[in-house]
Order: sequence, then structure tokens, then C-alpha cells
Amino acid sequence: MKTILVVSTDPLLIHLAERLLSPRFRAIVLGGMVSAVDAIYNNIPNLVVVEIPAGDSTTAEAINNLKEDPMFNQLPILAVIGDQPPPDWEGLLVEDYLRKGDLERDLLSRVLLAVSRSERVVEINPLTRLPGNISINRQIEDRLGRGEFFSFAYADLDYFKPFNDKYGFSRGDEVIKITGRLILNIVKSRQPKGSFIGHIGGDDFVFIMEPGPVEGACGEIIRAFDQIIPTLYDPEDRERSGIDSKDRRGTARFFPLIGISIGVSGTSIRSFSHFGELTGAASEMKRYAKKTQGSSYEIDRRATPPT
Amino acid sequence: MDNIDIRTQRTRIENINALPTVPGTVKKVSQVIGKPGVTLSEISQFVVGDPALTTKVLKMVNSAVYGFPGRISSVSHAIMLLGLSVVKGLLLGISVFEIMQQVMAGLWDHSVGCAVVARAIAEKKGLKDPEEVSVGGLLHDFGKVILMLEYQTQYEEAMKQAASRKTAIFEAERAVFQETHSAVGTWLAERWRFPPNLVEVIECHHRPGSARKAPMETAIVHFSDILVRARGFGFGGDPLVPAVHPAAFDLLALTDADIREVLDKLENSREESGSLSL
Repeated sequence: MKTILVVSTDPLLIHLAERLLSPRFRAIVLGGMVSAVDAIYNNIPNLVVVEIPAGDSTTAEAINNLKEDPMFNQLPILAVIGDQPPPDWEGLLVEDYLRKGDLERDLLSRVLLAVSRSERVVEINPLTRLPGNISINRQIEDRLGRGEFFSFAYADLDYFKPFNDKYGFSRGDEVIKITGRLILNIVKSRQPKGSFIGHIGGDDFVFIMEPGPVEGACGEIIRAFDQIIPTLYDPEDRERSGIDSKDRRGTARFFPLIGISIGVSGTSIRSFSHFGELTGAASEMKRYAKKTQGSSYEIDRRATPPT
Repeated sequence: MDNIDIRTQRTRIENINALPTVPGTVKKVSQVIGKPGVTLSEISQFVVGDPALTTKVLKMVNSAVYGFPGRISSVSHAIMLLGLSVVKGLLLGISVFEIMQQVMAGLWDHSVGCAVVARAIAEKKGLKDPEEVSVGGLLHDFGKVILMLEYQTQYEEAMKQAASRKTAIFEAERAVFQETHSAVGTWLAERWRFPPNLVEVIECHHRPGSARKAPMETAIVHFSDILVRARGFGFGGDPLVPAVHPAAFDLLALTDADIREVLDKLENSREESGSLSL
């Protein structure tokens, strides 16, 4: 059950909030923002409903301070105000607000909307705007918990580092952005609903699809990648299909064009009890894919776990 | 009628955000994007048949906001990067040309014909990205669309002069506007952060000898323009078939058989689609 923190000293507000929220959420009531912050640091709720009394600056300060830290930046806060004019929102970092007089009518709906919105935007990678590790883990665990049949694909790039070293990080970033967009759009076009695309960081991406369309998507990602990536090289490097750069030991050598390797495992062929087991199987498949020169994918077809 | 110095109007031109298209395209848009399970490549096929849709898609993917400025000159790549929902939104936002529809229809056919021929030649020459060259063919004259849209009376005057004096439209444009559609198209192509090779094709298609970054691509579009006019396909603003720039022709090194093959492809595409614009 999701947790809503209600921060207020107004008995009417508290009573109303508990009554309206309790069927759907676990509501925890605290008397002030400072003690609420302490509670939040220990256990992050899904949303905070906080009364902002007129002329009170400590509540606002506590909220803003909380929001400074990236860990809590995404926690949605719903402000409740009385009849006073709305405060300066630049100085109060909340997601939404409600009037006390509208609580009976709107509180539950606003809370549901705010929670839903926060789940849509959690920990976005600034480069690709794709969700990161927390969402990825949650996606996998939710699906494992529901006993869903799904395929999990793990992708990364070959020879990305030498490209980054030679052309600079802003051109490296273009490669990452293009990779993210390609995976996103191809997966979404083949399975518009229920698919998921995440960016672990660096040149590591994952996606989740139904088992049926996953192989077609992998093939299309590889084809699209191999078409677009060469256009990001300087013409002379593209002509010779690679670049001179340095390896991890600093030795100069020739590197082929960047490729993408995708490893796929899934729950339709065998069961996984834990997400680490599933991601491990997918990254093992990715290692197989990496043995092939150029872009490739490998799909786990083993019915029994690797020994 | 007053002539204008278009060079003083550059800011106004650079503020243009989108081109309208011909009625035929607008009618097809909802049909294409409303099709259940439509694929990215089906949408690409549709977009590359229309100069206005192509500029829209390339402008978005090359915008600084989107993050690939000056990088993407292929429509199929652009559509894979933008994705279905963005592209649908873009296509639905297209408007229809309200004026000079007859002339526009001819120009659309001319542009699509050039795209077909440019692609065929690029494939013949073994270029790595025939689609990019095809986009050059499709967009080489989009400066004309801008001039017609913004300065209808002056453009009609330029076409009249070209017809009565039997000169090329770009010469008449120079008389009326002090500059040609190539320059106007280039201003906007640069503003929209189109890749440098595509900008050069637009800029130099009447003087391919000046091309520095993409001489082969420019020569191909230059020659396609003339070939399509010679075949009487569409209308490029005047009825003339200008001479091919000799150096460009040498660079292309096409045999008679090559040219016949390319023209066959043009004929086939004409039979398949009829006039695309009506």
C-alpha cells in the first residue's frame, strides 16, 4: 500500500484527509514539517500533503531544503492553503496545491493524480530522459511478482570509449542519445502498451517486452543503429570504417565503428525468483553477442538455469 | 509592381516555421497515421514523398532542443529518432497551400521527380546514403515555395518574365528579388540547422562547381533537376531545360545506358503514383 504523509495541526483537515485517503493509502499524520522531514529521511512516502498556514515561513523552508537533495527532488508535495492569496511558487518547491475549502471534493483525486504523475517521471536520465535503475528494478520486480511472461533485454555499445576519446564527449553524448531514441521508438512501435525502456547509465540500456515481438525489435534496433551511427563519424573515418584511438592501456590502435550488442533472457522459458538472476542471464547473453564482430543480439533459449 | 530586395527580408524569412503542402498530401495524412499498427518505415515512405512534411521532420530532429543539430539528413533516420507519437503530432500540424495551387502542384511533381532521379543516380554511383541525396532532390527548390508563399505577386511577375524573355526562373528571380530561391532556401535550411551537405546541395544546385563539402551530391541534384525538366515532369517555375554544367557531368561520368535506366525509374514512379499532388 502506498504511503501518504499528512502534515498539519488542523484537526478538521486531519480528519478529512484520513477519511478520504484511508481506503486507498496508508495515511500517516505528523504535526509539523520539521518532524515530517525526519520521518521522510527514514522512509520516503509516495506523497506529502502539507498545510501551509498563512505567514508561516518555517514550513516552506523545510520543504525547500528537503527538495534540494536529488534523492527527494522527485517526492511529490501537495500544499494545502486557506483563503490567503497563493504564495510565490518560486519560493516554495511543491508540485501542486489545493484550497482547504476544496478538500472534500478534490483531495483524493489530486493525490491520485500527483502519485501517478510522480511515477511517470521518476529518476530520468538527463541525457536520454529515460528512467534509470530504481524504475528498472521496480519494473522487473513488479512483473516477476505478477508472474508475467516477459523478455528482458540488456544492450550496450562496442568501441564507444575510443569514439568518445577521439571526438570528445559531446559527440559521444549524441551517440548515447541516438541509441536511447532508437531503442525507445522501435520498442514502442512494435509494442505500444506495456513495454518499458530504461537507461542504466553510460552506454548501458535495458528494455522489457512481451516475448513475441522481442526478436523483431532486436533486429530492427541493430539495423537502424548500423545505418545511423556511421553518419556520426567524420567522412574519412567513415570511409575506412573506424578510427585511430587509444585503448585502456593508452596504446594507439585502430577501432572499428561502434556496434550494439543485445542480450535477451525472459520468464517464458524458465522461472526466475529474483531480478538479479534475470539480469545476470541477460548480461550473459550480451557477452555472447559481444563475441560476434559488429552489432548483434543473442536470445536465451535455455530451458534450465545456467550452471 | 515593385521589385524588392529580398536580402533585406532575411529575418522575416528566417522566422518562417513551416511550409504548407498540396491538398493531396493533406488528404492522405490522417489515412496514413490513422492506420492501425502503422510502422515507422511506412510513415517514412509517405513523408519522403512530400517536401513540406520532409522539412518539418528534419527541422524537428535537427533542432537544438531535440538534440541532434545539423546531424540528420535522412527522413527514415529522423523518423526513427523522433518516434511515432512525435511524428504523428508533426504530420497532423501540416496546413494546405491556399494560393497558387496549380503552380505548387507542378513544383511538387518536379521536386518528387528530382528525388526519384537523384536517388537512382546516387545508387548507380554507389554513394553510401542514397536517401540523403534523394532528400536533396526533394528540397532543392524549397526556396521557391517560400518566395511564392510570402511574395505571391512578385513571384508571379518573375514567372511571367521568365516565360516572356525565355530565361531561367532563377534569373528572373534575381531581377525581381535581387537573389534567387537557392539563397532563400539556404537561409532557412541553415536556420533550421539542416546538415551542411544538404544546405550545400540547396545552395549550389545551379552552380555545382562551387560545392566544396558535397560536390558529388550537388552534381547529382543539379543533373536530376535538368533531367526531370527535360522529361516534362512537373513544373519548376519556367519551361526551360538549361544546359548541364560540364564539370558536373564529367564528375558524374554516367553512360547513356545509365541515364536511360535512371529515366526508366522516373517513368515507373510516375506510373505508380500518377500526379502526387492533386
